[in-house]
Amino acid sequence: MTDDKSADGVTRGVSRRKFVTAAGVTGVVALAGCTSDDDGGNGNGEGGNGNGDGGNGGNGNGDGGNGNGGNGNGDGNGNGNTELTGSIRVSGSSTVFPVAQAVGRQFTDMHPEVSFDLSKDGSGGGFRNVFIPGDSDINNASRPIKDGELQDCQDNGIDPIEFRIAQDALTVVVNNNADWVDEMTVSTVGEIWSPESPPETWADVNSDWPDEEFELFGAATTSGTFDYFTEEVVGEEGAIREDYEGTERDDQIAAGVSGSEYAFGYLPFAYYVNNPDQVKALAISHEGGDAVEPSLEAAQSGEYPLARPLFFYVNNNKLAEKPTLQEFVRYYIEQSGKDFIASDIGYVPSSDDQVQSNLDTLEQNI
Amino acid sequence: MATESETLQRSGRFQYAEIRGKAFEAILIAATLVGLVALILLFGFMFFDAFGPLSASLEWYLLFFSTLVAPVSAFTLYCRRNPAARTANARASAAVFGGLVLSLAAYIVLRAMSPYGPLVYLITVSSMPLSVAVYGRYTENSYFVGPAMVLAMLLAIVWTFGSEVLLFPLLDAVFGLGNDLLGGVPVLGSVPVPVGRGLLVTAIAVGVPTLALANSVLRRRTSRAGILAVFAVLGLSAAGTAGLDQLIRPILEVLPIWSAYAGVIGLPVTGILALLITRQRGMRAGITAVVAVVGGGLAVVAIASAVSMDPSLWVVLFFGMGVPTAYVVGEAVISDRDGRVGVAGPFVILGGILVGAYLERLLSVTGPDSWVTPTLLTNSWNGLTATEAGAYPSIVGSIMIVSFMALMAFPVGVGAAIYLEEYAPDTGWKGRLTNLVELNIANLAGVPSVVYGLLGLALFQNLLNFAPGLVFSAAATLGFLILPIVIVSAQEALKAVPDSLREASYGMGASRWQTIRSVVLPEAVPGILTGTILALGRAIGETAPLIIIAVPTTTFTTPGGLFSSGAAVPLRIFSASANFAPEYRKGVVAALAIVLLVLMLTMNAIAIVIRNRYQQ
Repeated sequence: MTDDKSADGVTRGVSRRKFVTAAGVTGVVALAGCTSDDDGGNGNGEGGNGNGDGGNGGNGNGDGGNGNGGNGNGDGNGNGNTELTGSIRVSGSSTVFPVAQAVGRQFTDMHPEVSFDLSKDGSGGGFRNVFIPGDSDINNASRPIKDGELQDCQDNGIDPIEFRIAQDALTVVVNNNADWVDEMTVSTVGEIWSPESPPETWADVNSDWPDEEFELFGAATTSGTFDYFTEEVVGEEGAIREDYEGTERDDQIAAGVSGSEYAFGYLPFAYYVNNPDQVKALAISHEGGDAVEPSLEAAQSGEYPLARPLFFYVNNNKLAEKPTLQEFVRYYIEQSGKDFIASDIGYVPSSDDQVQSNLDTLEQNI
Repeated sequence: MATESETLQRSGRFQYAEIRGKAFEAILIAATLVGLVALILLFGFMFFDAFGPLSASLEWYLLFFSTLVAPVSAFTLYCRRNPAARTANARASAAVFGGLVLSLAAYIVLRAMSPYGPLVYLITVSSMPLSVAVYGRYTENSYFVGPAMVLAMLLAIVWTFGSEVLLFPLLDAVFGLGNDLLGGVPVLGSVPVPVGRGLLVTAIAVGVPTLALANSVLRRRTSRAGILAVFAVLGLSAAGTAGLDQLIRPILEVLPIWSAYAGVIGLPVTGILALLITRQRGMRAGITAVVAVVGGGLAVVAIASAVSMDPSLWVVLFFGMGVPTAYVVGEAVISDRDGRVGVAGPFVILGGILVGAYLERLLSVTGPDSWVTPTLLTNSWNGLTATEAGAYPSIVGSIMIVSFMALMAFPVGVGAAIYLEEYAPDTGWKGRLTNLVELNIANLAGVPSVVYGLLGLALFQNLLNFAPGLVFSAAATLGFLILPIVIVSAQEALKAVPDSLREASYGMGASRWQTIRSVVLPEAVPGILTGTILALGRAIGETAPLIIIAVPTTTFTTPGGLFSSGAAVPLRIFSASANFAPEYRKGVVAALAIVLLVLMLTMNAIAIVIRNRYQQ
């Protein structure tokens, strides 16, 4: 690639045909060079494993790119040398994404040979598309795994291991100019979003509120936030009115709510706390109780009604066979108890007990 | 006459037509303005967010204008008056900046993949076409050398790529099946395969074609030449096979790493330079040039080692940028009396930047609060501190995806276009079939990219069971996406070659193959390349197909190769734009967009340079 471009800088006075030929040759060479890289990438693996045991495809990492090979990079590589190698693939929730992103960066800083891949698919999307087929090692989730998903995992020979890592205070937000409302009960929020007889206007819910139509912004159906919200607030999992804008992107929910005076939506607390001026958060109360402003303290103490746990799930087979993954999961658990989760991101970190119980779970499964 | 037009003008119908014309013109002007103003505003906002020009002090602007803008403008004005200098300036700029950008791109990609693999392939693959070329020099009847070159190149691709992509998985599958079948028998299942996979692949890739040829030679009882052909095929397929990689690589890896970089970049550059100079000034000058280049390379290594720096980057820059620049400048100084001054152009710009940067540091002037920083270009991602966020893995991934995509889509697309334009029948039912195919290709060019993403998902993940988000899947998916565009633009370029040229060529007794190779293709190259590179520019920004084939949005290491997880700048932008911290959504995203635009504009600039070269 390079060569034929730099070649064209110096090709003055040569016939076009020669140029075509030369460019062709370098192109071929470059193409061939590119094909080699799978070996280049896994050069570390070859040394440790040896090519002799061609019997199982396990050490066939990458060449040919057959799916298992690609994921199996980590196998055995860690045995021979102390430096961790291989790859870790994390999928799932966009709510947990910032945590995984920060932990992954620190982990790859310590172990530069490890390739860490993170994608943002939503809790359900991550389970369905990536984790259950066996493509990802870890799936983040902002709700517990569903029975159906667990069943699918087991059908594929995966027994996912659950780790609870942090807590979020799901924040109900309205426009900054919505001065008629400062607090709401959980059941009122549920009433607004309920699929049966959804209220058209604010006045339909409470006659003191303006007679203007709702504009609703919420999480997309692939999101764990959606599952949590429908189950805990609306009352039935997956049941929600249809005339709202669902998205996997928190910034769009906030932008939608801040753009319309009669808008209503919900967000992870991390997004709200980093953009407190964009929208107004409502204090939430149980029926008859005191309304509580969303905050990390209130979520931790359990006073805030919409506090919810965040999880990640690990593929047990991958955990058993990849030392790099074991090390990463241990690190992930330890970091989930650190203060930066609260100060830099905006979730409640795991308590020391929680960290310890997670580590115990991990040790049992290695 | 006069009275007639006067009556016409006075009639209401004429006045009405005139007003209508004016109104139509006004509407057109308004449409143009709306579009332009909207775009300018959009890019202006992005530019502001990315560079923060307001925070720079007045001194910084003075420095900026006096060291960079003023000299460059003065030089440009001078060149405008002097066409020869202008041409030399353009050529020198292409060598310096093109060389710089491409050397850097090559260096970061090679560094991500380790340069030994590409070196092995350079040696094994180029040996086939090169040996044909050498043979062609010393043989009397050389009319078949051209086709043989093409054939050798195709063979090289098929053997290396084919044995890599097809044979290795096939072997694994066979071994796996064997294991499954024999696994029940305790003794047999545990017997290891006696030879390494590399050797086995080599044996199959070399043995099968050789045996096939030997069989046909024996059956026909041909002469000694036939036996020679057997050995030729044996040698050629050995040279092209991927299994050799595993055998040769350990030998090569003893070499220091800079020599691998020098081999991959330096060998082709030196070879082309030697060819050029030999052709222009004779064998002796060519040899002198090669000696000078090799000596210069060694000197660079020596100096870098002396100050204990890793010489790799400097070697790449020397061969990729230094050598082409020296060639262009030297040629202009020696033979271009009028345009000689023009080659100073790129150095005025580079010098201005360097002097400006030095003075800025020396005088500690407050520069703009820019988000486009070295950190952004060379660090990996940081999701918590915006000032430390970098997109290096994504940039490397994008370059790898686009270059490999080009290598896949270009030969296939141009080949299809040549066939459809030059060979395919255009009459009778076959002609109708051709028309149908062409119509469908034109339609495919408009298929939304999401659909190609689904195609890639179905093909690579569901059918071939690849891991998600590999560089290879991404490159191939985007390759499918631009393939119809490449075909259509190459077809247009071939159509634009006047038929009179073809007829003249046939009239002189040339065959169709000779006509295409020597007359049609050289004429069509600028059009083909321009169309292709513009298609690449489109592909580099594609996001939807990458999301669908699950290329990870965040990764902290560069992709280790074609079959490891990729990363791409557009996905980085997509992910960063939803970050919870506002400085990401404003500053970092705008800066990343600038990076993506620069990547795209670089490719477009290459397209323009190539087009101008050939349209002279």
